[in-house]
Amino acid sequence: MKIPLSWLKDYVDFDDTVEGLADKLTFSGVEVEGIEQIGGAPAGVVVAEVREVEKHPNADKLNLCRVDFGGGEELTVVCGAPNVEAGGKYPFAPLGTELPGGFKIEKRKVRGVVSEGMLCAPDELGLSGDHSGLLVLDAKWAPGTPLRAILGEPETVLEVEITPNRPDELSLLGIAREVAALYDVPLKMPDISLVESGPPASGATSVVVEDAVDCPRYSARILRNVQVGESPDWMKRRLKAAGIRAINNVVDITNYVMLECGQPLHAFDQKLLDEGRIVVRHPAAGETIVTLDGVERKLEPQMLVICDASKPMAIAGVMGGEFSGIHEGTTDVLLESATFRPAAIRATSRQLGLLSESAYRYMRGVDAQWADLGSRRAARLMCELAGATLYEGAVDVWPTPQAPWTVLCRPSRLEAVLGLSTTPEDIARVFGLLGLRVLSSSAERMEVEIPTFRGDLTREADLIEEYVRIYGLKRLPAVRPLAMVVEGADDKPYQGQTWMRGLLSGLGLQEVMNYSFLAEGLLDLFDKENAPDRVKLTNPLTADHTVLRDALLPQVVENIGTNVSKQVEETAFFEMGRVFRMGADGVPAEEDHLAIGLMGPVGRSGLDKFRPVEALDMFLWMKGLWMQLAAALHVRGASLRPADRPWGEAGRGVEIVLENRLVGWFGLLDPSIAREWRIHQPVGVLEVASAALLKDVDSRRPLAPPPAFPCTRRDVALIVGADVRHEQVVKIARQAAPPELERIELFDIYQGKKVGEGRKSMAYAFTYRSSKGTLTDDEANGFQTEINNALKTRLPADIREG
Amino acid sequence: MDVQEVDRLTEAALAEIGAAQDLSVAEALRVKYIGRNGLLPELMKQMKDAMDKRAMGQALNRFKVSVTDALVEKKAQLEAAAKTIQADAFDWSLPGRWAPRGRLHPVTQLIERVCALFRRMGFVVADGPDVETEYYNFDALNTPADHVSRDMQDTFYLPGGLLLRTQTSAVQARYMQAHPPPVRIVCPGRCYRRDTTDATHSANFHQIEGLYVDERVSLADLKSDLDHFAGELMGSGVKTRFRTHFFPFTEPSVEVDFSCHMCGGRGCRVCKHSGWIEIMGAGMVDPNVFKAVGYDPEKVTGYAFGMGIERLAMILFGIDDIRRLYENDARYLAQF
Repeated sequence: MKIPLSWLKDYVDFDDTVEGLADKLTFSGVEVEGIEQIGGAPAGVVVAEVREVEKHPNADKLNLCRVDFGGGEELTVVCGAPNVEAGGKYPFAPLGTELPGGFKIEKRKVRGVVSEGMLCAPDELGLSGDHSGLLVLDAKWAPGTPLRAILGEPETVLEVEITPNRPDELSLLGIAREVAALYDVPLKMPDISLVESGPPASGATSVVVEDAVDCPRYSARILRNVQVGESPDWMKRRLKAAGIRAINNVVDITNYVMLECGQPLHAFDQKLLDEGRIVVRHPAAGETIVTLDGVERKLEPQMLVICDASKPMAIAGVMGGEFSGIHEGTTDVLLESATFRPAAIRATSRQLGLLSESAYRYMRGVDAQWADLGSRRAARLMCELAGATLYEGAVDVWPTPQAPWTVLCRPSRLEAVLGLSTTPEDIARVFGLLGLRVLSSSAERMEVEIPTFRGDLTREADLIEEYVRIYGLKRLPAVRPLAMVVEGADDKPYQGQTWMRGLLSGLGLQEVMNYSFLAEGLLDLFDKENAPDRVKLTNPLTADHTVLRDALLPQVVENIGTNVSKQVEETAFFEMGRVFRMGADGVPAEEDHLAIGLMGPVGRSGLDKFRPVEALDMFLWMKGLWMQLAAALHVRGASLRPADRPWGEAGRGVEIVLENRLVGWFGLLDPSIAREWRIHQPVGVLEVASAALLKDVDSRRPLAPPPAFPCTRRDVALIVGADVRHEQVVKIARQAAPPELERIELFDIYQGKKVGEGRKSMAYAFTYRSSKGTLTDDEANGFQTEINNALKTRLPADIREG
Repeated sequence: MDVQEVDRLTEAALAEIGAAQDLSVAEALRVKYIGRNGLLPELMKQMKDAMDKRAMGQALNRFKVSVTDALVEKKAQLEAAAKTIQADAFDWSLPGRWAPRGRLHPVTQLIERVCALFRRMGFVVADGPDVETEYYNFDALNTPADHVSRDMQDTFYLPGGLLLRTQTSAVQARYMQAHPPPVRIVCPGRCYRRDTTDATHSANFHQIEGLYVDERVSLADLKSDLDHFAGELMGSGVKTRFRTHFFPFTEPSVEVDFSCHMCGGRGCRVCKHSGWIEIMGAGMVDPNVFKAVGYDPEKVTGYAFGMGIERLAMILFGIDDIRRLYENDARYLAQF
């Protein structure tokens, strides 16, 4: 809302700078979002009369003007404006004047002729963007008259934000009331005294309200002999400063009074009302109305309309109708000042997509008490400025006026909630400033009467806030911050997640973060089968955010893809986030997931990076990551088994099974999906439910002391068929091995001429250790022979011992 | 052969050793002077012919000791010099070969920092669902269906009248229903608003909510705890100020500004020359919220606060556009 400062000062006189005022308002809850200077003329600019005009000797488009600006002597000014004429009067900036934008007028030569000042166009004065010619002034102004005497002082306008709990502040008077409280100065009410020279209004119209819940009050005044015309300059200036366009004096007055008092008003041309009377009702089926903006609108049964004897003439509180408004020939005015139920106006405004200044105020709440204030004020101004004759009284339908209510406030409670100490006297003083009447007061309790326009004050807590915002939040006492432990409260899940994130970044992965919603096409690309269980937004805003993600991988792979498009050819990403899937009960289930996406030589370093990445490399890097993570999180009972997924390359992935529960999958991305982002190399992907990974993170584990005796190692090369898998070797060796076998490590694989077609050599190191003593060579050889025999017969394998 | 002769030979040997330029020459000199068939054993043989055996013995010993020491020193010198030459082939400027270090997303980093600060003060981290009911997101927070403030937030709805939470405050009521007072929690999490994405708005963003409920918790406690937090997060000397505001679930409600960490409050580009930066909303828990969760507002009071993490990250890290946080450009993220 815009608050022109000079207007505000009509109602409250305070001694402070604009900045000081803005600061006080901001701290008390009326946030001042901006302070701007508008309109008016720059200081120093005066009226000048152009006596002679002649062509500039050296320029076709410039003129030399002899100018009288009341300074006694005539000056020569170079002017390029097309509309300059001898005898004309224009604004003139003498030497030394500073124009808006910091432009200072100095003596200067223009094409060889000295110019001693400047004749000004509207844009140069900061009045508008118009630069088509000089601002032409009325011939009546004497040369030398300050332009400010004609156009007025510039106006300072505060742009304020009113919070939704304070509809009483949506007016100049409302802000003035706050300012009066903040500075402890009196509030000056506008003049609402009336001369009611006409006959009783009740003889000239009638008002029927069919729904007193939606329309608690409707009052109508009758004016005759109205002369519709332009509003006076001061009113137009104020309206403009407040951001409202001037239309004609009658409409301007309704807007002016709305801004002034917060009461929306509507003026009907009574002659255009069928039978000249008002019926407030809900629309009948099929009724429509053409609103002021020229749009025909379909009316819904729950909307409220202001009708004459036969048809809707306005949508209550939202917008007037095109055919009942004030026009040039209007003489008879019916002035509406009414109150409507906020929720009803909000629903209508939203349904029609119409948010007028009136609707905005009604939606937030207009006090029924104000109807009379607004009506009187507008009627007075219409008599004053439009020559109207006012009928006596108002037709006022207000079946159940609301009385002020009382709220109890305990000083002890106030002190406890705010953490400060005060006195009942000071509390009473602050309430007094706010216009809250303290009916009774003791050290224990105060009874406070709340005026009807403060609908936000219904409880003790509300009064406590009123006290502290006027007392001053800056004055809250400093207390020492105390740490406090709540017994039994714990945040293990958070700790687990944090630990896991730390591990992942320690493993060299970069965390990414994506939106929880996305375009369904991306999910379909990975797994169409999930489509029926996806959770869709009922009211998406954009086509690329329509459905909640049921997996993290699609976006992580997309991240890899967008990085590839920016020539980032090596990425190791992880994301931890929530996925959503519609449960059988129709309620979305949420699960925290971890996804990893790898591309490029992420498992290599140095010069090795420049070899192409093979599918097996990528798979084993991902597997290595998984093993590291599982080991660090102490995941127990995890196993892997080959399995395909719709987004995985066939035969290149494994499922992660934890204690017979399927919790995730990793492997290589289907190359046809990768090609969507022009990725032509292996992409490793993993997605797993993170709760499963964290299940053992806090459990106690038995610790083994470091081994006491040295180990003995035996290296063996197995010549086996090319299709033999590491897993088979380990399984057979383990079965044949004694408890002393500590570990089996594969340290080389070789395929080539030396081992023959269809064969390969796998070199293993077997490490033995006893907890009872140092093993002898004979013992170690015996263990190894057992294993070798098993491998020879069961794989089968040829063995070369090293 | 006399003593003078031996001393002359000693001088000559030392001079020759001193002039040696590489290890093979030094080795040859060792063989020549003190080797098994070298000069020293030769001279020793002549000892028996000497007139003054004692003086001769001392002179030969001088020869042996000084030549041996000189050779050792020379060899060490030459070896060190050789090493220096070798070190030149050791190219320390080659690119390092340790795997690239992973980093946490700046939003995560900030969440963890903020949580760590509050955990130190005895807060525990609580969590709630992203998919919420109208009850927990609005009604329990003193925001009934026809309340004006529901207009303030545009909400994403899901089938069945569910919604994506618009604020982490939704966790408040859930936690209080499940735990009797005292309560001291912070809740980081995702929130969603139907905002058109631009440089400062993101439809998907993060907040951290804080809630402290106990007997006699006051607005002054909120102020001092947040002052402490501001100093720890943004640097000592950063203070807070409160401005009256409105939130349905707190009364009194305040907006909290931090004094600008860049200019110390003198005014700069970061704080738009005001010296202050708006960081969070806060206030005393509204009695209606306590009633909704079954707490007795006569017995307990509490404060709550909530701040946007992306906004804080932008201020703290100097990020120019909120969308950068969700672009996931590896080169950008690697800088955090």
